[in-house]
Amino acid sequence: MSAIAAAPIKSVDALKAAPDEYRMAVRKIVRSHAVNELYGARVYDEPAIALAPTPYLKWLTCRIAMEEYGHHVRFRQLGEQMGIPESEMTPEGRKPLSIFEFPLKTWEEFCVVKLLADLAEIIQVEDLMKCSFLPLRNLAKVTMPEEIFHSQFGKDTCTELIKTEDGRKKVQAAIDRYFPMMPAFFGKRDSANNALYRKYGIKQRTNEDMRADFLKRVRDLVEGHLKLKLPEVAEAA
Amino acid sequence: MSVLPCGPADAAFAEFAAFAAAVPALPWFAATGTPLTATVIAAAETYVVVLDLAPCPVAPVGGWREAAAIAQRPDWSRDWWQAENASEQALQRQGAGRLGLEPLLAALTALTEISTGLHEHAATALAGAGLADAALAKVAAGAAAQACHQRGLALLAGDGAERAFTAKFELFAAGHWPLGIVGGTCFVF
Repeated sequence: MSAIAAAPIKSVDALKAAPDEYRMAVRKIVRSHAVNELYGARVYDEPAIALAPTPYLKWLTCRIAMEEYGHHVRFRQLGEQMGIPESEMTPEGRKPLSIFEFPLKTWEEFCVVKLLADLAEIIQVEDLMKCSFLPLRNLAKVTMPEEIFHSQFGKDTCTELIKTEDGRKKVQAAIDRYFPMMPAFFGKRDSANNALYRKYGIKQRTNEDMRADFLKRVRDLVEGHLKLKLPEVAEAA
Repeated sequence: MSVLPCGPADAAFAEFAAFAAAVPALPWFAATGTPLTATVIAAAETYVVVLDLAPCPVAPVGGWREAAAIAQRPDWSRDWWQAENASEQALQRQGAGRLGLEPLLAALTALTEISTGLHEHAATALAGAGLADAALAKVAAGAAAQACHQRGLALLAGDGAERAFTAKFELFAAGHWPLGIVGGTCFVF
């Protein structure tokens, strides 16, 4: 499917005049982000407050949970302007990503989730920063600094944890548990949805391309920086 | 949320709404590093005692770096954190029984959205001290948001039953940051 070189759509009002399939494509992305940001805050960030080992990290995690929730709010507000029913923008109304079926057990797991999942999120948001639907592009730009901080938090805390042998083992165990779920985060190879997104410039990159970028960057982090091992997984979803 | 209170639930939501509306204008972190007044020390002592913890000395904290170090010490009181958690859980049960769980959580969620803005206050206070520490600004903002949540929860639970979170919030409202009990001392920045 070749890309359509069209003028960016500047507002929610202007979206009303866009082709049906464009509008439906944007709705899918907004809905997906609204659901997954909320579910991530509930399943990972809020429970991690209790697991954090010091008041400093508890309060920092509290703030991170608020920011993740805030991302949900931003996507939900955009969705509301677009006429998406609120019930479709919560995990109760739409199925979230499969990674959320593996709730946290340890602090080390939370740090690894931030390391891995927030890097994956950054790659998705980077792509949306060139989105042809400008309200979504702007939302991505606003969200990005917080996503970068969360990913850096994952890197910093994992770097600290691996200074002890016990910590190193726990971080490796968490990577072994969560990393195999990450490639699926980017969607299926030759996805019809992704082709549609690219056709209209809503997204720029294929799922395979983003997945490959993630795998390269995460390998640099885990094997290059942390000197740990990435488990072997099928790279294609 | 009703504007004109006409029953216990409406009165609770009205009080809560007034509290939430006042949150952004408080002098968050404006008195950090300044000497503790007798009123501030008394509020800190009340906070500890009402949590049913052993009385302990209240100590000032000189600066942001020292505050960050105290909040990362390994000898922080697990009893203190658990006492807060136990109070929160009791208040949530009480509030849910009084107002219904869904309206209670909806009100607290609205408060969380308001308290998101407290990060600006923390970053400004840090900048005023000549520091640019993004993580510490978020830590302080997280602590302040937690205090808002706890105070809001106490208001919604009603009956003025919860004095610990009221006392804790007074410390934040006075421009300080209570760092909790660490090494047997209640530190107030």
